[in-house]
Parts: sequence; C-alpha cells; structure tokens
Amino acid sequence: MQFRSKNSAHFFINAATVAADLSVVLTEAKNISLEAMNAKALVARAGDNVRTFKPITDFMVELANDTIWLVKEINREALVLSRTSLAELHSSDANLRFAKAQQKASTAPYVETLDPIAKMAYNQHHQQSVQLRRHMRKLFELLDEIESRMLAANVVTATSRLEAATAADSYQASLEGIVVKLEKAANRIKHIATKCRHSLER
Amino acid sequence: MKVIKLHEGRSHEWLVFGRDEERPSKIIDTNQYMIKTTNHAIMLDPGGIELFSAMLAAVVHHVPVQQITHLFASHQDPDIISSLGLWDKTLPHAELHAPWLWEGFLRHFGCNSIRYNPLPDEGKSLRLDDIELQFIPAHYMHSSGNFSVYDPQAKILMSGDIGAALLPDGAPMFVEDFDAHVDKMRLFHQRWMPSNRAKKDWVRRVRQLDIEYMAPQHGAIFKGRDVQRFLDWLDELEVGTGIK
Ligand SMILES: [Fe+2]
Ligand SMILES: [Fe+2]
Repeated sequence: MQFRSKNSAHFFINAATVAADLSVVLTEAKNISLEAMNAKALVARAGDNVRTFKPITDFMVELANDTIWLVKEINREALVLSRTSLAELHSSDANLRFAKAQQKASTAPYVETLDPIAKMAYNQHHQQSVQLRRHMRKLFELLDEIESRMLAANVVTATSRLEAATAADSYQASLEGIVVKLEKAANRIKHIATKCRHSLER
Repeated sequence: MKVIKLHEGRSHEWLVFGRDEERPSKIIDTNQYMIKTTNHAIMLDPGGIELFSAMLAAVVHHVPVQQITHLFASHQDPDIISSLGLWDKTLPHAELHAPWLWEGFLRHFGCNSIRYNPLPDEGKSLRLDDIELQFIPAHYMHSSGNFSVYDPQAKILMSGDIGAALLPDGAPMFVEDFDAHVDKMRLFHQRWMPSNRAKKDWVRRVRQLDIEYMAPQHGAIFKGRDVQRFLDWLDELEVGTGIK
C-alpha cells in the first residue's frame, strides 16, 4: 500500500467507485447465503447419506454472513475514504495557495502576518494526510480479510468436491451443483476485491 | 498584480488591484478593491479562487492581513467571490456583507468562520472608523440580488459589473477615450444586464450621488465627466438582448 499525493485528485473518485463495485460482492454473498440454505435443506433430507457435508453447509452460512458484514464495512469505509480524500485535496490546495502567497509577498512589509495562517493551512493538510492514510490502511485491511476468506472458501470447495464424490449417487449432482456455485461466487468476490485493491493502489 | 491608489484622504484610502500578469488566459480579468481606514480594511469583490494567492500577496504590501475585518460581495458570481472559502481560513473573524438573497448559495464556496451579514434589498450603510459606506441597491444589474458601494467622502462608487468592459491584457486602469471605450462595454451591458426597468432605477439612484470615480469590477475606471457620460449612455442603451 502506498499513497502518493499526486494521485489524490483522482483518489476520491476511485474510492467512490470501490463502493459501487462492492454492491456486486453483496449480491454474490447473498447468493452464497441462498445456496447455503439449499445445502442445509438437502443435508436434512438426505440424513446419513451426506452427513459429512453438514460442516460444509455451516461454513457456507458463516462465510456468507461474514462476507455480507465485511462488504458493509468496506462500503462504509470506502465512503469515508472518499470524503477524507476530498478533504485532503482541499487542504492540500489551500496549503499550496497560502504558500504561494507567502512566496509572492516575500518583500511585502506585512508578509509575516501571513505566517500563522500559512502554518495553520500546513498543519491542517498534514492532519488530513494522516487521516487519509489511516482510513486507507483500514480499507486495505478489510479487503485483505475478504480475500483471505475467499481463499479459505477455495480450500473448502476442494474438500467438498471429494465429499460430494463419495456421497450416494442420488445426491451427487445436487451437491456438486452447490459446490460449483460456491466456488464461482467466491472467485467473483475475490476478483472484485482484487480489482478494488488495484484501483486504490493506482 | 497591479495596485493603484485611487484615493488617499486623511481618514482612509482606496486601492485597486488588477491586471494580474499571471492570470490564466481563459479567466476574465477582474478589479478588486480595498478600502483601508485607521484600524480596519474592507475588500470589495475580493475575486475568484484562481486569483487568491496573488491577491493575498498584494494585500500584505499595504495592510497586515488581520486588519481586514470586512468583505463585501456585490453578488454571487465566481469571479466576485469564489475565493470565499480561502478568505474564510485567512480571516475567520471577518464579516461578509452580501445580498441576503444569495446567502444559501454563497455558503457553497465555504463560509464556516466568517459571519455572513445579509444586506436587505433596500441597502444599508456600514461605518468603518471615520467613514460611512453605503450599499446601494443594484438588483438585476446584472444579478437579481446586487449592490454597488458608495463612499461619499472619497466620492467613489464601486459599481460591480456595471460599467464593466472587456479589455485586452495590460489595458490602462482608467478610461482614456470614452467614445472608444463604449465599444468595449456595449456587448457586456446588452447581454449581461437583463432589465431596462432595473437599469433605469439604478441610473436614477446613482444620478443623485456626487461621484468623482466610478469603479467597475471589470475593465477601466471612469473619472470626472466620464461618469456622467457613462450614466447617459447606459440610460439610453437597450439591454436584455439575449431574447430576440
Ligand atoms: Fe457578475
Ligand atoms: Fe463580474
């Protein structure tokens, strides 16, 4: 993660875009949740035939809930970030304009009366930059977390495949269907999270 | 930024700031005014955000910045006052005198610390040490909430956009040849001024004042006889020509 001020002009747009992209993740997470319900019903119906599949459905429910929560957090943080980066941009602009006035007025008799104002503008900009970095770090942490959840999902889908293969014939197709849907949703979420990360790093 | 002393009296002086050489070429040239009294200073139409650094730098050649206790905006246009957000940081204890009509709009430029003093439609006056400034209604000239500023001691009328001329870079600060100057003003007044009735009303008010200098926000300053010639010219001019 790196923040370069020259990019801050576009940054608040990127942060707002991230919030928009995440709505897709939310849809996917809701799909996982729905699949988890299907799986639960199936497990209940099949009883001992697919007993080993039970922990997987539990995991899917947990995964869906965590993802929904994470997406909401990321969304909130992305909006805060967008607002913070805009404030940073304004404070940077003000800081530059005061510094320029000071420099232009270097020979003016009352130039020192600008000192406290220029200093305040400098400090405000500094504070905004610190804030911006803090919120950015937070957002990256959340994106990290969502990506690692999806990696875990990949491990689970691999195990589930094996479980599905050993299940009774009549349940195999349904179980495999669930696994495929979980895998697809996890991959899409991971893809979007990576895309969000890249657009923020740009 | 060029600075000219328009008036120097016992109790106060008028300064005009303009013709900034570093102004980006697509930005309309503007004149900013400052009246400096013993303990105070007021900036009239302090200008756009792009001009702010140059203005602030020019101002501290004449007053400590904290002496500026008042700002005036004749109307809401960006070339008049889009610098407000930065003046708000510079002069948190200052007061802004501007049309009541535009308060909710002007605050979009950023007015968190400066106190907004809404000017009523009929105008009012402001005492600054030994002088009394009058805010003269100039509504619809061109803005629907708009004021000119008159200083009876110095006999100066700051007329905002009225009397504006679109001049080439580096043009003189004063009108030198009125007849030639008319060509530089005609389009501006015909197209930006919407109402013949408003124009007549303003001319009638201003004819009652004793004016030595008429100082617009764009173009050149009128002095002496040219002030009357301008009023006569404007009185006759058909405005609001955007609608054919
Ligand atoms: Fe205007
Ligand atoms: Fe103007």
